[in-house]
Amino acid sequence: MAIIEMDSLIRNGLDKAVELMAVAAHNSFRFGNRNTMKMIAVGNEELEQIAEFCFSLGDMSPLAARDGRFVMELIKEPTSLLIFGDTRKSPYNFNCGACGYRTCAEMNKAEEVESLTANGPSCQFKNLNLNIAANAAASLAWRLGLHCRVMSTLGFAARALEIIEGVDLAVSVSVSVAKVDPYFDRHKFWTQDYWDEIFKKEFPTFDRGFIGAVEDEDW
Amino acid sequence: MSLERSLRQFEEDRKEAVRIAARLLLASATTTPRVGGVGECTTHIFDDECDIEDLCQQIEKMSEESEAWGFFKRDAVILRDADAVLIVTSLRSLTDPSDINCNMCGKLTCEYMREEEKLPKEPGVAFTGPLCSFRANNIAYAIDGIVSMARNIGIDYGVYWSLGAAAMRMGLLPKATGFALGVGISVTEKSPFRDIPQKYDEINERTMNDRIIQRLWPQFRSIYS
Repeated sequence: MAIIEMDSLIRNGLDKAVELMAVAAHNSFRFGNRNTMKMIAVGNEELEQIAEFCFSLGDMSPLAARDGRFVMELIKEPTSLLIFGDTRKSPYNFNCGACGYRTCAEMNKAEEVESLTANGPSCQFKNLNLNIAANAAASLAWRLGLHCRVMSTLGFAARALEIIEGVDLAVSVSVSVAKVDPYFDRHKFWTQDYWDEIFKKEFPTFDRGFIGAVEDEDW
Repeated sequence: MSLERSLRQFEEDRKEAVRIAARLLLASATTTPRVGGVGECTTHIFDDECDIEDLCQQIEKMSEESEAWGFFKRDAVILRDADAVLIVTSLRSLTDPSDINCNMCGKLTCEYMREEEKLPKEPGVAFTGPLCSFRANNIAYAIDGIVSMARNIGIDYGVYWSLGAAAMRMGLLPKATGFALGVGISVTEKSPFRDIPQKYDEINERTMNDRIIQRLWPQFRSIYS
């Protein structure tokens, strides 16, 4: 039997894992019993574009800038990004009111508001389907032992760059087989001062206490 | 062990399995990802038959409120077969947008979203939107956490938004709840959530039993009185 080196084992394993994650997402639970979602996997070339785009948003969004820097670190080791997208209009006729319109027909007729991140207003159940698919992929990645993080910013960037086309909403699941878990280190790029000065100003609600915690007075 | 005793034991163990499973599903729902890593979802278990019946009656009442909600009747009948229900809430989507200006709700900034007038609490309105979609999406993760764990441990499940809406209407959930979805679970040999007949809300075991009793009762009464 031919010897397969560790690098190619890991690379091929990652590719297969991403395929399996795509299948799990494709067949995940969905409202309306119909899969209308689009899904692509991208490699390092597109990830670099996404990273540059995110970084260029630094003035507007420190969170995007952080994720841009983060992706540049990420692509030094084998990684992949699954991007999920869907259209915003509701085919369900649930008339639930979550979007702020009384009926689905009203929401579908409402003027479309375009932006770099997403086009709105969007059907809440379309959003749920999309994110359930993302969680199905993430849940399989967890079971397969991959490092994994669901990232909205990268999905938004992929949509803005038209890497994923014909969608109004997007979310992404990033997986990695790095030697050290690259995700969930919020102190990696920021000092405490930066956090206090920039981040708290930009996102006053972001790091509010968890349920039951004592809140700030100006809450 | 007599047949009766062992059957009773089976029934008790089955119910105990539902109670344990519901709590495992709650654990899985709670540990799924949250946007921004900030918690805002709660999961509530109702495993008492009478509580489930109350919820089903509320769903049936709500089915009259809107033409689009005709399927609520079927949901209610299906959920009567559930052994327990879990309801997942989003506590921040109504009042506390996530400040990332994502435009999923169609308001370019979260400030516009805060200023937007909410739908009134009245019949025909299940959720008083517009909600922060980014926050409400947390429920998607929690629901898939439940689904994923249910599949792992071999529990039958069905996801129903009518259940979440009914629980909100009954005031069973925290006051700040903006959006809620329900999951029915069952430990039976045939899943009550799949392969449902077309007119299940009209023709099901309960209505059939009622019809037989109503038809036969006068005769029983005349024979035995």
